[in-house]
Amino acid sequence: MGIVFDIKEFAVHDGPGIRTTVFLKGCPLRCAWCHNPEGFSPEPQVMTGPAGTRTVGQTYSSDELAARLNQLAEVLQANEGGVTFSGGEPLLQAGFVAEVIDRLDHLHVLLDTCGHASEQDFRLVVSRSDLVFYDLKLMNPVEHRRWTGADNTKILRNLDVLSGMDVPFVVRVPLVPGVTDTDENVAAVAERIRGLPGLRRVDLLPYNKGAGGKYKACGMDFRPSYDESAKPRVNPAPFEGAGIEVHVR
Amino acid sequence: MKERLEQMKCRVRDREHKSLRQDVKLDICEECEAEELSWPRRMARITEKMCEAERPVILPDEQIVFTRTVKGVPGAPMPKDVQARLDAEGKRTGWGAGNICCDWGMPLSQGLLGRREVAERTRHRLANDADAVEFLDAAIQTIDAVLGLVARYAEEARKQGRDDLVAILEQVPARPPRTFHQALQSHRFMHAAVWMSGSVHVGLGRLDQYMWPYLKADLDAGRLTTEQAEELLAEFFIGLNKDTDLYPGVQQGDNGQSLMLGGVTREGNDAVNPLTWMVLRVSHDVNMIDPKINLRVNRNTDIDLLTEAARLTRRGLGFPQYANDEVVIPGLAAHGYDLEDARDYTVAACWEFIIPGRGMDAPGAGAMSFPAATDKAIREGLAAGDTFEQILERTRLNIRQQVQAHVNRWKRSTVGVPAPYYSVLMTDCLEQGRDVTDGGAKYYNHGIHGAGSSNAVDALAAVKKFVFTEQSVAPDELLRALAANFENDEPLRQKLFNEGPKLGNDDSVNSLLTVLFDLFAEACEEIQDNGRGGIVRAGTGTAMYYIWLAKKPEEGDMAEPGVGATADGRHAGDFFSSSLAPSPGVKVRGPISILQAFSNIDYQRVCNGGPITMELSDTVFRDEEAVRKVAMLVRTFAMLGCQQLQLNTLNVKVLQDAKQHPERHRDLIVRVWGWSGYFCELDEPYQDHIIARHSFAL
Ligand code: SF4
Repeated sequence: MGIVFDIKEFAVHDGPGIRTTVFLKGCPLRCAWCHNPEGFSPEPQVMTGPAGTRTVGQTYSSDELAARLNQLAEVLQANEGGVTFSGGEPLLQAGFVAEVIDRLDHLHVLLDTCGHASEQDFRLVVSRSDLVFYDLKLMNPVEHRRWTGADNTKILRNLDVLSGMDVPFVVRVPLVPGVTDTDENVAAVAERIRGLPGLRRVDLLPYNKGAGGKYKACGMDFRPSYDESAKPRVNPAPFEGAGIEVHVR
Repeated sequence: MKERLEQMKCRVRDREHKSLRQDVKLDICEECEAEELSWPRRMARITEKMCEAERPVILPDEQIVFTRTVKGVPGAPMPKDVQARLDAEGKRTGWGAGNICCDWGMPLSQGLLGRREVAERTRHRLANDADAVEFLDAAIQTIDAVLGLVARYAEEARKQGRDDLVAILEQVPARPPRTFHQALQSHRFMHAAVWMSGSVHVGLGRLDQYMWPYLKADLDAGRLTTEQAEELLAEFFIGLNKDTDLYPGVQQGDNGQSLMLGGVTREGNDAVNPLTWMVLRVSHDVNMIDPKINLRVNRNTDIDLLTEAARLTRRGLGFPQYANDEVVIPGLAAHGYDLEDARDYTVAACWEFIIPGRGMDAPGAGAMSFPAATDKAIREGLAAGDTFEQILERTRLNIRQQVQAHVNRWKRSTVGVPAPYYSVLMTDCLEQGRDVTDGGAKYYNHGIHGAGSSNAVDALAAVKKFVFTEQSVAPDELLRALAANFENDEPLRQKLFNEGPKLGNDDSVNSLLTVLFDLFAEACEEIQDNGRGGIVRAGTGTAMYYIWLAKKPEEGDMAEPGVGATADGRHAGDFFSSSLAPSPGVKVRGPISILQAFSNIDYQRVCNGGPITMELSDTVFRDEEAVRKVAMLVRTFAMLGCQQLQLNTLNVKVLQDAKQHPERHRDLIVRVWGWSGYFCELDEPYQDHIIARHSFAL
């Protein structure tokens, strides 16, 4: 059984073509800028918004979820799309996700991951995916721990695993003002991924005020210690210098 | 857009031309009676008086002229002998020509003088047919009136030293246009004169078809560049927005100036041409409510064309609206339309499928309330201890009863009000010597909107699940709650609303949608004659009925029945959805599931029109790639065999309403950053932030 906090149809910004995105509940990190706090806990929880309360987190068997996704298979295939597994962190439920993928009707699979997982889990799902969106937030392990709650050892190790697996991937860097958008960090990311086999491009995701929108509904406080209203610095130069295609989203 | 056009648009928006309007109020009642004019002559007198009263307006920067200066169109009283005949037969007043579409290409290519010659010839041929002669004389009178007005415009142009315009006005609309520019000017006069004859909802039809030959000739001959052509077209479109405050409708803007693009020719060949693309581009640049763009598509339509159309959707104007040829054409053919005519379809004011020049259909002649039909069945059925099947049977009878009541009402008004000028522009009216409202057209069918289907499906599904399958709600418990509008039963209402299966989030209810529309189609098919020698078409639209039919029975002031609280957990008085959309406030899975759900209607039997209506947040359209995905969504609509689609881009008004009434907009998704959330789950400052962002988006 797996637990899902949302299934979004016609997700136009989560990969190629028309896609359905599955948001898996539970994440090992606690990024200070995370916009999906309902994805933190791997348990169902009640969210209370102005429109009333609803329970977030539905359990599915792999058969059920695959059936639900396969229902749109014809449409997704005809439109160069497929299914995206996102979260939270889908690899926290790697076994479940792998089972679902095995039951899909020849659908293009995109894994959207933070990479903080065991190598075994990582390989289990990546080997079943057609494309990976791989988040790289901070290169400095201390900083990484400070802002996400864990250091980046596993993430960087899995990055190497990924580049040896013959699955194309896109590195995604959230640009949080004063945190990840520094020239130093961006240059370090570029240096780290330069020349990696399988790397297709880099997506820079400039932070936009508004990440805290759902915290109150989840019964949490959102108190970012970075300057929320500052404009993130968007500097694609180090990537271009490393011969990597860059998109700013 | 060029500065000249921007300024022109600003002036139209500011309604500066209002200051040019004359303070006259025409009244022709007395003279009609004194001269004992026949009915056709009375109607022709309207056109004549209006044309005579017009004062030519030529503004310095205009390339295409005509500005209306006379506000109200006078009415003409029905002649006493006609009135007496109706009274004797116990019939009401007549119906008029409106909400139809001219055969624009034909009068353009013949010129009004060409039409006049046709009228003369028929008059000669039918000299012994007094009615035909009277009609044709009236038609000729209207042609002369319009040409008289144009002559005065030419005079004014001469006075102003506008030789360019003099040359154009001496050619059109009297004679066939020699250029694209002339064709547009010709159309402007012919079209405006229909409004001036007292008709409403004057459609524009397949503009990319009938205008293309003129544009192509200009381009081929090197007389015109694409850029110049776009400028002319933009001016023509801006002109269509000029007098709209004088056009009657339910709301301003409800004026039927709809235009159809693409599709196939009457022979069945691909009809898309460079003008199809140009209209989409120009409409995007002009960015005004008229003309309302429609695009005919099929599963193989060029994705680049759909992308161009999606760019227009991004504008947030609520068009283009899409129609699927693969469904509509065979549907119309199955309803007795000749295949060539079916291939030539356009839309009436909103979405109803009609044939330009040949159709005098009345496709929006009332509505059948699905919620009223099912609610009555549920209440009476539960009280009588029915099974679910018996409730469906009651629903069948209720639908049938509503349809028949409609037809009986129409049958009381079987006399058409003559429309001599409109007839000039229709396909065979002058040729046959018959007015469009008196046998001159080919099709005289009626259409009924099937309104509120989602709430009706959800109500039936809730009863089926809770009362019959689970037996968790007792029949009298539900009946009491419905009668009291859930006053002391909020938990039950929540259960019905939140836990009941809903169209758009539970495929098990899709078959009920099929059943309801089949019953509706069956009731319509039973009618042999609508009183005008036509059939009755079942439709999927609502027009304003999604508000009107939601009134409580005791508040209703319409022929259609109202309805109280319903078993889907809807309070009395809450609106239904517009046309085809999940019930208001229901949390649905998403656009693809909605398309899939509505693909379950048998559109070969339900072919009056009425779009699946979807609202996209404008944040969906962040980049070109996303615009292309909206195009793919439209292709999916065609692929799934749906009939018609309206995509609206969300605007700030909706967001503000969502803030005030979150319960009505639970499904509203907004893009905040690299992510999306349900608008109503965001905290107030974030909602305000997004609203502010949308306010700045233009
Ligand atoms: S990895 Fe993603 S989901 Fe997890 S906390 Fe960070 S931003 Fe949120």
